Amino acid sequence: MELRPAEVTSILEKEIEKYKGETSMQSIGTVLSVGDGVARVYGLDDCVMNELLEFPNGVRGVALNLEEDNVGCVLLGDATKVKEGDTVRSTGRVISVPTGDKLLGRVVNGLGDPIDGKGTLGTTESDLRPIESPAPSVVEREPVKEPLQTGIKAIDAMIPIGRGQRELIIGDRQTGKTALCIDTIINQKTTAGGDPKDPEQVICIYVAVGQKQSTIVDVQRRLEKAGAMPYTIIVAASANDEASLQYLACYAGVAMGERFRDEGRHVVIFYDDLYKQALAYRQVMLLLRRPPGREAFPGDVFNLHSRLLERAAKISRDAPKINPRYKKGGGSITALPIVETQEGDVAAYIPTNVISITDGQIFLESALFNAGIRPAVNAGISVSRVGGSAQISAMKKIAGGLRLGLASYRALAAFAQFGSDLDKATQQELTRGERLTEILKQGQYVPMPVEQQILIIYVANAGRLDDVPARRVPEVEKAYLRAMGEQHPEVAEEIKKTKNVSDAGRAAMDKVIAAVKIQLNTTPSKTAAKA
Amino acid sequence: MIVDAVTARWAGALYGLAAKQGVLSTVVADVERLGVEFARPEVRRVLQNPRIDAATRRGAVAACLRGAHVLTQNFVGLALDRGREEVLVGLSAAFRRRILLDAGQVEGFVETARPIDPADLARVASDFGRLLGQKLILKNRVVPELIGGARVIAGNRMLDGSVSGRLEGLRRRLQEVQLPG
Repeated sequence: MELRPAEVTSILEKEIEKYKGETSMQSIGTVLSVGDGVARVYGLDDCVMNELLEFPNGVRGVALNLEEDNVGCVLLGDATKVKEGDTVRSTGRVISVPTGDKLLGRVVNGLGDPIDGKGTLGTTESDLRPIESPAPSVVEREPVKEPLQTGIKAIDAMIPIGRGQRELIIGDRQTGKTALCIDTIINQKTTAGGDPKDPEQVICIYVAVGQKQSTIVDVQRRLEKAGAMPYTIIVAASANDEASLQYLACYAGVAMGERFRDEGRHVVIFYDDLYKQALAYRQVMLLLRRPPGREAFPGDVFNLHSRLLERAAKISRDAPKINPRYKKGGGSITALPIVETQEGDVAAYIPTNVISITDGQIFLESALFNAGIRPAVNAGISVSRVGGSAQISAMKKIAGGLRLGLASYRALAAFAQFGSDLDKATQQELTRGERLTEILKQGQYVPMPVEQQILIIYVANAGRLDDVPARRVPEVEKAYLRAMGEQHPEVAEEIKKTKNVSDAGRAAMDKVIAAVKIQLNTTPSKTAAKA
Repeated sequence: MIVDAVTARWAGALYGLAAKQGVLSTVVADVERLGVEFARPEVRRVLQNPRIDAATRRGAVAACLRGAHVLTQNFVGLALDRGREEVLVGLSAAFRRRILLDAGQVEGFVETARPIDPADLARVASDFGRLLGQKLILKNRVVPELIGGARVIAGNRMLDGSVSGRLEGLRRRLQEVQLPG
C-alpha cells in the first residue's frame, strides 16, 4: 500500500484535536522477577484471568497465574525490555483478537496483528473478540449432517467429514498431513467459487503452531497460487515466536472462526499442530511453576485441547432464538486438528488425548507413504464417527463398504506375500483391492469434485477395473473421466443437483468405461490377442 | 514497600493476638523498635547469613528484645525456631500496613514535576481518598520526567494526570490508528 504523507498528517491532526487524555483509575503492580518470557508481578489487585497487562516500552503480557500476593504472567513481546521494579498497568480487558471479513486473505500472528506486510487490517474496536469463549451449549447445536468435501477421494469416500465435526489428522513427520490441509482448503473453492462474500463459501482458517517460517510462506504461496487465499486466514505462530503466542494462536484462530459461524457461515479450521501447542503450553506452565504431571505436561493439558475442540460445532437454525450472540443460525465450525506422532506411536499421551476428544481420526502411515500410496491413509485404523450422515447419498451408496474392503485387502495382501496358493475368492479380493488402492491415489494440490469421485469409485467398486492391469489404472481413470465429461456430462450434473445416481447414470458409466477399456486396449486378453 | 504473603500472615497473627489481649499499643511500640534494630546492617547480617548458627543468631536478637512484651518475645523466638528470619526483617512494614488497613488508611505518593505545598497535598489526599473510599496518607515525590500535572499512587492504584502520562496515552492512541488503505 502506498503511504500518502498528507493523509498521515491529517489523521494525526484529527487525533490530536479530539484527544481528551482522560485520566482514569488504573490498577498497577511492580515487576518482582522476569525471565524466560515469564514475569511475576506484585500488586494488580483487580487482575482477572487472561487479562492483558501493559509493561513499559510497549511490551504486553497475559495474566495466567493469580496467586495470593503476586500475578504470574507470560510476556508477549521482547522480555529484555522489562526489568525488576518496572510498573505494570492492567488494561481491564481480556486478551482479544480482531475478527471479521477484513482478516480474509491475510496472515496474522497469535494476537491478530498482520505479519504479511500488506498494511493494517482496518478493523475497529467492535471487531475485537476475546480468544477464550464458552463452547456452544447442547441446545444451540444440531447433529452433523452436511458434508465437508475435502476433494480427497480416500477421505470423502471412506472417512467422510461433516460440517461441525472434529476429525484428527495424525501421523509421523513427512506423511502428508499439511498437504491434506492445503488440498482441503483449495477444494473449498468449489463451495461458492472462492467468493468470500457468498454465504455458501466455506471460510478456511489455517493455524500454524511452531512451524518453520519457510513452511508458513510455502503454505501461503500454495494457497495464493490456487486462488484460495481470498477465503482463508492464516494465523501463524512460528517456531521462533514466544511459547505463549504459540499456545494462544489456536484460540485466536477459533475466535476469528466464531465470528463467521455466528453469522451463519461455515468455517473449517486447521490446527497444525496440537502436539507442538501442547509443548509450548508445557513450557509456559513449567516456567509459571505449575506442577508437572505425566511427561511433565501440566494437569490441565487435556482441558487445553478439549476446550479448544469443543468450540467446533454445528449450530442449530433456531440458535438465535436461544442465544442473541448468533445473528443467524445454521453456521458451523469444523475442526481438523493435526497431531504429529513419533515412530507411529498413536498410544502416546497427547495423541490419545486428542483421539478421545475428536469424532474420528485419519491416520497417515509412513510405510504407505514410502510405498507411493499417497495420500497415505491407513483405512484400517482411520475412522469417522459421524460416518454416512456426512456423505451425500450417492457417495454413501457407491462407496459403502469401501473402507472395510480396503482394510481387509491390506491385511490379506500382507498375508498373501507368504504363499501363492490362493483360492479364487481371495485372488479376486486382492485384484479388487489393488485397483481400489490405485484409484484412491491422488496427486497433491489437485482435489477432485465429489461428483467426479463418485464416477470413478463406482466403476472401481463395481469391479469394472478388475481386468485392467493395476499400473494402467491411472491412465484409464483419466481417460474415463474425460470421456464422461464429454459424452455424459449430465451424470455429474445429476449427482451435483440431486445428490443421487439414477439407473440411467449407472448405465452410462458402465458403457463409457467399457468403451475406454477397448479404446486404450487395456484388458489382458485383448493385449495378448494383439501380441 | 512490598510485603510478601508469609510475612503478612505472621504479622497478622501477632496483630490479632495483641488486639485480643488488649496490648496492641505495647506490641506496636515493640515492633517499631524492632524494625529500627533489624534494619541495622550488623543485625541484618547476623539474621540473613546462613553460616551463622541459630544460637549466635538468638544471642544477637536477645539484646534487641530486652524489655519487649512477652508476645513480641515469643513471636521472635518462634520465627527463629521455624527458620523464618525474613519475617523479622519485613515485620515492621507488614505490621504498619495491617494497622493502616484496620484504620481504613492507605499510604501513597503524589508525584509532581515540582514540589507542591502542604495545602495542595492535603487537598489531593482528600479528593483522591474520596474516590477510593479510603483515607490517604500522601507524601510528595518530585519526578521531573512528568513535565507537569500530577500522578497519584496509593497502594496498588494509580491516577495519572501528568503531562507525560497524557503524551504516552496519545502515543498509544496514534499507534492504534488505522491508516487509510
